[in-house]
Amino acid sequence: MSIRSSTSCLLLVLLTSVAFGDGVTLPAAERVVLANGTVLILNESHDVPLIGLRAIVRGGAAADPIDKHGLAALFADLLQKGAGERSSADFAEAIASVGGKLDVAVGLESVNISASFMAKDASFMVELVSDMLLTPLLDSKEFSALRDRSINLIKAAKGSNPGQLMSSYANAFLFGNHPYGNPVGGSESSLAKITHGDLIAYYADMVGSDRLIVSVSGDFEIPAMQEALTTAFGDWRPAAKPLQELEAPLSADSSRVFLIDKPGATQTYFHIGNVGVARSFSGRAELDLANTIFGGRFTSMLVTELRTKSGLSYSASSKLSRNAQPGSVFISSFTETSTTTAALDVALATLNRLHDGGLDEAMIASSRNYVMGQFPTRFETAGQLAGHFASLEANGLDSSYINGYGDSLSSATVESIAAVIDAVYPGPDELVFVILGDAKLVREQVAPYGPITEISLSRPRFHP
Amino acid sequence: MALFSELRRRNVFKVALLYALASLIVFWVVGGTLLAIGAPAWANEFIFMVMLIGYPVAMIFAWSYEITPDGLKKSLDVDQTQSVVFKTGQKLNAAMAVFAVLGALALVGERLMPTFELPKIIEPILLPPVYEIPDKDGVPEEIRAYTLDNGLRIIVWPDHDIPNVVMYNFVRAGGRNEYPGITGLSHFFEHMMFNGTERRAQGEFDGSMEAVGGANNAYTSKDFTVYQDWFPRSALETIFDLEGDRLENLAIDPSVVESERGVVYSERRLRYDNDNFGRLYLEVNATAFIAHPYQFPVIGWSSDVESWTQEDLESYFRTYYAPNNLTMVFTGDVTPDEIFELSEKYFGGIDAQTPPQVIRTTEPEQLGERRLLVKVDTQTPLLHVTFHAGSATDPMTLPLSVLLNVLVGGESSRLHRAFVEEEQIALSIDGFQMEGIDPGLVYFYLTLPPGADIAATEGRLLEELLRIAETGITEAELNKARNIMIADFWRGISTINGKASALGNAEVFHGDYQHAFSLPDDLSAVSAEQIQAVAAAVFDRNKMTVGVLRAREEGEQ
Repeated sequence: MSIRSSTSCLLLVLLTSVAFGDGVTLPAAERVVLANGTVLILNESHDVPLIGLRAIVRGGAAADPIDKHGLAALFADLLQKGAGERSSADFAEAIASVGGKLDVAVGLESVNISASFMAKDASFMVELVSDMLLTPLLDSKEFSALRDRSINLIKAAKGSNPGQLMSSYANAFLFGNHPYGNPVGGSESSLAKITHGDLIAYYADMVGSDRLIVSVSGDFEIPAMQEALTTAFGDWRPAAKPLQELEAPLSADSSRVFLIDKPGATQTYFHIGNVGVARSFSGRAELDLANTIFGGRFTSMLVTELRTKSGLSYSASSKLSRNAQPGSVFISSFTETSTTTAALDVALATLNRLHDGGLDEAMIASSRNYVMGQFPTRFETAGQLAGHFASLEANGLDSSYINGYGDSLSSATVESIAAVIDAVYPGPDELVFVILGDAKLVREQVAPYGPITEISLSRPRFHP
Repeated sequence: MALFSELRRRNVFKVALLYALASLIVFWVVGGTLLAIGAPAWANEFIFMVMLIGYPVAMIFAWSYEITPDGLKKSLDVDQTQSVVFKTGQKLNAAMAVFAVLGALALVGERLMPTFELPKIIEPILLPPVYEIPDKDGVPEEIRAYTLDNGLRIIVWPDHDIPNVVMYNFVRAGGRNEYPGITGLSHFFEHMMFNGTERRAQGEFDGSMEAVGGANNAYTSKDFTVYQDWFPRSALETIFDLEGDRLENLAIDPSVVESERGVVYSERRLRYDNDNFGRLYLEVNATAFIAHPYQFPVIGWSSDVESWTQEDLESYFRTYYAPNNLTMVFTGDVTPDEIFELSEKYFGGIDAQTPPQVIRTTEPEQLGERRLLVKVDTQTPLLHVTFHAGSATDPMTLPLSVLLNVLVGGESSRLHRAFVEEEQIALSIDGFQMEGIDPGLVYFYLTLPPGADIAATEGRLLEELLRIAETGITEAELNKARNIMIADFWRGISTINGKASALGNAEVFHGDYQHAFSLPDDLSAVSAEQIQAVAAAVFDRNKMTVGVLRAREEGEQ
């Protein structure tokens, strides 16, 4: 009754896009494969006058040479420093002049370009993105300025907010020389070894049409957008090298401790974990439900024990990174220096409790409701939709990965979840501890957890 | 008297009362059903007339007839020694009791059972709710606003894109309402609001919300404490129950208070003690203000966090969490009618309180620059520079916001180009303007490379800022800033969360949620000349505070 006519019209339009029932149903999208291997995915939705674009170039920091970590990240930064006829300054000016956004981020297995422009600037957006990929300037002066700045920003983080470096230390210690141990942004020492020639080679070898996926969603007409993208990317060359195939990393089979010394620190940051599972893991729904209960929301076991009950920490979580090969599973939190072992022991006791079972139907129902209740908010904007389509394509998944998620959550049982917990979360004697704090105050406290490898925070690399 | 006792003996009074009760129930239930199935309004009047005509008939019937074990007989034909009128009277008593209970249930149902039809029939006749409808151009017409009798203000923007709902509750309590001894109390309350009520133990608020698919958070600023819930539509009534409960029945358990102090300390160590930006910001802010409570850190000074009392907490809750001090926004898969009904039901019974004291202190004019130095172990120095600016509603605030966009808004901005890309004297530069209830600051912050010449960088920054006052900005820069701000506005309201934030902030800072939609028009009215004049007024060396964070130099104590 109170739904006004304008809202009703909007509803009709949306019925043709995302649908929600016992889950989320992705809208139909046009998928086109160009002769040079580039995949285009197009989805119209006319809710607001915006267009979201996600371009993924497969291959990322996992392919960085062992002494040149940060190469893919520097390449991603340099892509934003001028292309086509536009200098670095002109390129930034062109984006901003129409209120657009165009960012490049790098992950272990992909370089991701995200764009958001007003609908009226659709063809301008296509021009800027294709210039960026096809004719980047990769200027040598811009390169050396960026490299120096990246090195100094790591130094700044060490002083200002060391917590943000914890995952670099943790991955380096857990995975060692396996590519998943690469610090994505590089280290002070590895960045210093990268040359402008390395960047030029990276562009020729690792970037090209056969690795490219361009996904666009939002307020445009499919035929016109398809034509514009085909014209822009249809003649591009493929990458000179084939995509790297990775081997599965080895799990730690005994406990060990990595201690990073920050003299004078008033609190200790810690990660505890081991190698987890790959994206293709068959118990995905069970794992999501279990991790939500363990460390994925505010009432999780970890937050309840480390924050609500004890006041030891402001926050705590457990996270899984799932890639082509098994990634990490890490508990993380922080606490005052003097309560370091108290907090570590609470985290370990909570992990043991997870293994001991005791997840009942009510907890699982709550977890399922939570995961499903929050799921639709990830499909709200054009940019989010473009991102989902691109990521499914890049990982060789189809829409059932999203459309079937609700059903797979519903069919998880107490037993199937218990089996997944056993398989994925590490046991008490195979834990990798990464601890950053004032070593002279915590060194003896953490010795019982395993043999200690100690380095100083000021050391210019993350690997031990 | 004889007639009276005979009327009583023959149960005429009881029948009269029973008839009245039964009529009322029939009228409610049948009338409600008729309306619900779409019968015309006169159907109710028809039933009322039938009941009215039946009344004298029933009275005469009660006088003339008597119920006997053999059936219905005329009273005059019954042997009075065998009369069962007393037993009949008891049956009538029982019937009256049943009807009375039914009647009471109907009234209680009005409060407890949302599906009961009664309130929907009665309300449009007796209490037509007055919902405010937007009246400005460009404001979506489906938005509605409503204020409960206890002063609680509610704004609703229906949007059915996804089956989810967002709630924001703006509490007029922030650092601004604090004084020495209770600094940080607003933020501490943000934590305590999740820690149990008289009905629910600590943890149950979050547990119940997450079990129905909802998530929540909250933040505290210098002006407001803001609570946020994100939930599927199916959880709507649970959310109202939870929110109403913590506003009405909050428990401030002393043992929970102690444990929560530990949590807040941990947050303080994370954001300030172990974060150089946070550490310098607290000191610069405390130096730029000497009188106004904006000088207090929202997290609180440590000694206050350690020592506030139960009485401080209780009186703070009573004053600031009263319904007349709250503004709630709901966006997403809801209708205004259902939100207003649920609000009446769950919040309508909470009493209003005497409004909080007005903040009287105004910051005196600063008459010369202020400087401070923080020495810590760091390789990369920080430089913070701030000037006094206006409040959210000050006419110079939007032009200054446009100017900030020109100066530090992204990769193409003036100061980023000059300092980071070209001269490479900073690793990063950014800035913001406090747009609060009272006049605030415009704030620039830079991270410098190791070994930087801090004084020279400060000099360059001042040179650039003072240059705006002399030569202004170009039309191209103005247009670019406008386009960025308009596109950001659209990006903001493309989610139900962004919609709730935009409406709420417009309402609490500008006194009108419709202000959220005036940005495009207001921006087109901003001129380059206006920006130049604002720069001249604001970027004044004598109104500047400079903070530096760096390592100890050699030989320095």
